[in-house]
Amino acid sequence: MARVRLLSVTKHFGQALAVDDFSLDVAEGELVTLLGPSGCGKTTTLRMIAGLVEPGAGRIYFDDQEVTYLPPHARNIGFVFQTPALFPHLSVAHNIAFGLSVKGGKKEAMQRRVDEMLALIELSGYGERLPAQLSGGQQQRVALARVLATDPRVLLFDEPLSALDRNLRDTLKYSILDLQRKTRKTAIYVTHDQSEAFAISDRIVVMNAGHIEQIGTQTDIYLRPATPFVAEFIGANNSLAGEVIRVDGQGDEAFVVVSAGRLSLRCKGHPYGQFKAGDPVLAYVRPENIAVLGDSLGGGYDNVVEGVIDRMIFEGATAQLRVDVGGLEFRADVSGGQRLTLIERQGRVRLGFNDVTLIPAPDR
Amino acid sequence: MSGEQIVVAQPATLAVRDVRRRERTARMTSLTLVLPAILLTLLFLYYPLVFIVRMSFTLADSFLSPAGPTFTLENYVVMTGRYLPNVLVTIKLAGLATLFDLVFGFPFAYILVRRVRYRDLVRGFMVFPMFGALYIAFGMRFILLPGGLATPLLKLLGAENAQVLYGLPSVVFAMSIFTFPFMVMNIGTALSNVDPTLEEAAACLGARPWQTIWRVLLPLTRAGIVAGSLMVFGWNIGAFAEPLLLGSIAEQRTLAWTLYQRGVVQTDYGLSTTMGVVLLSLAFTVTYFSLRYSRGALVE
Amino acid sequence: MSRTLSRRRLGGLLSHAYVWFCLLMFVLPFIALLNYSFTGPQGNYALENFKYVFGSFGSNLVWSFKISGLTLVLNLLVSLPAAYALVRYPFPGKRFLFSGLTLPLYVPGAVLGIALVLTYNFTYRLTTSMWGLVLAMTVGTFPLMLTPLVVALKDLPIVFEEAAQCLGATRWQAYWRVVFPLIGPGISAGLLLSFIIVFNEYLVTLFVHPTFITTAPLRVFGLVRTAGLLPTTAALAVTMQLISFVAVIAFFRIFGTRYLKGTYLI
Repeated sequence: MARVRLLSVTKHFGQALAVDDFSLDVAEGELVTLLGPSGCGKTTTLRMIAGLVEPGAGRIYFDDQEVTYLPPHARNIGFVFQTPALFPHLSVAHNIAFGLSVKGGKKEAMQRRVDEMLALIELSGYGERLPAQLSGGQQQRVALARVLATDPRVLLFDEPLSALDRNLRDTLKYSILDLQRKTRKTAIYVTHDQSEAFAISDRIVVMNAGHIEQIGTQTDIYLRPATPFVAEFIGANNSLAGEVIRVDGQGDEAFVVVSAGRLSLRCKGHPYGQFKAGDPVLAYVRPENIAVLGDSLGGGYDNVVEGVIDRMIFEGATAQLRVDVGGLEFRADVSGGQRLTLIERQGRVRLGFNDVTLIPAPDR
Repeated sequence: MSGEQIVVAQPATLAVRDVRRRERTARMTSLTLVLPAILLTLLFLYYPLVFIVRMSFTLADSFLSPAGPTFTLENYVVMTGRYLPNVLVTIKLAGLATLFDLVFGFPFAYILVRRVRYRDLVRGFMVFPMFGALYIAFGMRFILLPGGLATPLLKLLGAENAQVLYGLPSVVFAMSIFTFPFMVMNIGTALSNVDPTLEEAAACLGARPWQTIWRVLLPLTRAGIVAGSLMVFGWNIGAFAEPLLLGSIAEQRTLAWTLYQRGVVQTDYGLSTTMGVVLLSLAFTVTYFSLRYSRGALVE
Repeated sequence: MSRTLSRRRLGGLLSHAYVWFCLLMFVLPFIALLNYSFTGPQGNYALENFKYVFGSFGSNLVWSFKISGLTLVLNLLVSLPAAYALVRYPFPGKRFLFSGLTLPLYVPGAVLGIALVLTYNFTYRLTTSMWGLVLAMTVGTFPLMLTPLVVALKDLPIVFEEAAQCLGATRWQAYWRVVFPLIGPGISAGLLLSFIIVFNEYLVTLFVHPTFITTAPLRVFGLVRTAGLLPTTAALAVTMQLISFVAVIAFFRIFGTRYLKGTYLI
């Protein structure tokens, strides 16, 4: 159960920059997920923590021990790969005992440990089977048992569920979380799947193109995205480019007036003290925060816009309404009874919303 | 971030040097791993080859003389003169064997790839020639003896036993048996890369079998044919046992055997190494082009 | 309709007949020798002939096995690390190195023979040692061991080694406990190919052998040249081929034909 620290870790592959100045502090027993699209550097970072890849610059610590250039076998880690990677020529029991036997384990002790592990993953009695005789899900569970058997101080997961089908993924996801909670091991998890990350993480590191976009909890990232990438990558979002007109009020009551296209938005509820008139900004409104107003209703919302319905996508529990507001396309998500009334709706409609997230526009 | 931060003050140059050192260790390890193989090949292949090239420029066994070796180009001159027939007969035999393999090998490969289902059984049989040209030559010599298996057939063709035995046809035949699997393997690989539906399409468009072969199959398998032919040719110019055991005086002039005669029996080192060099150059040239035509590099 | 059907049938029949005819040609020399090895002064002499083989030619057979065995061991020792380095380590000039190492296959036997015998005589002074012959055989068959190993290693996903290392195995441990068992078939393929070639080799042996060593194929060659066709010689040749054949079939049975891709046999 070690604390993991990365300090300014960088990695180049030839000319390409894979990981750029990555710094992270993972507390003991915490499960942190590296989340991002393919090629963002999350797997490379994980492999550097494992020692399978050497960083070009920067340092990595487990507790107070520097492990930056230590080979994997000396780090006492557990690495779960995308494929189970069970040794085909060894039985399940021998696979699980592998980490112990390479360190010179005694037969009885190892046997006991193997039985313990098999019970943990609910596959008692499968010890003599060969990996080829197990299903994909069972293999991945054995892989889990295999890494836990050596009692590692850090657990590393490289998209362990991506090779499994949907149902299996959901059950295994929670098994992993369960095991991590039970054993209280520090864990670093890599995935590109948001729902997976949101389901199991204590904190999430959103990565893009080799660098960190934001580190935070699920609510941090979802409700208060720090960068345009995070705002657009996590969940769905309507984005508008605009400019700050003025800032009214102070502190928690401050609201910023933004001009975006032909719209004027009032944004409040966040500490927006840093904005001043003339700043270019990106304004984000989540589809679920947009209400479709009846003709009589109007008040209660800071912002009301009017547009023409483009199309409506009925998704079952929710419905997406695409509305053309003066050339900008808004997406509003509706649920409950209201979505049924909108099925045949055409023509003009009014949308109301309060929560607007403002992010300073990146320099060109 | 919680907790205190450790200030990392490390000069950038030191970090780079660290990485370089690690890369160098990795390179040294890989070099050590390949070293035995390199040493083996250098000491027992390349050096000896260089040795004989050098020797080919010396006169006869002057290498041993107390005065030191006499350097000369005489050997090479002689190769184009007195020993030219040897070179020519080697090439001729190899060429004929290659042609034979090509003509009979292509249909064999085609049938094997397209029609036959008992491929593993066939492979079991194809293994026999591989055990060595010696047994083929020996076996054939026995077959062609008077009173041997081939006698009835020969009588039918009205041929005298002795003639056929010690002559060109049986030598070429024996040589082609040995290299037949090579040809089949090369053509077979090329053929299996050709989509069978192409032949069906051609047939539907009205092409007769002969036309399909000529206009569709042959162009598409050209690389395999060339690679196979060159490989077979390269093997056959080194033929030793077949010309010796089955050939007449004319065939026994092949370079491989003459090389042995002059070198080991008559200790004319200069001349035999020259023959070796000529033979080697022929083989290398042919193999080089053969490899250019066949696909795939095994190691990246 | 029936005319085209029977034509196709005929075509199929002819194809199969052709294949079998060619195969017969392959095996004919062997069968002829087999037949001959059964003959003697009176009728069926098979038992005597083959007894002779194991008696008088026994020492030749023993030498053949001995030389083959030593060559195989050397080949393994040299190829195992080389193959691993070629596949798993990055270094410049790999393709060039690999070509350089597999070159011996394309050198005509007589050329290798003369080059080695002269070098042994004048530089290395290896003419009176068994090792001269063994090393000559090794260098000639080394590519046949290297290639299947390289193929097997390439096919082995690197994730197995990584998993082993993350579980606490050093590179050395990971190699012996995970990689080596999993490339077993590749190793066997290399062993088989090398064995077949060395066991039946007579040409380079002819040039290079020390006087006290005569392997079985060399003996056959010598006898055919001097004593002509004798049933006992035929019996020896047949024995050699049978042993080789059994080795190949055994390999096919155990491992299938997959691991010999890219070599002469497939």
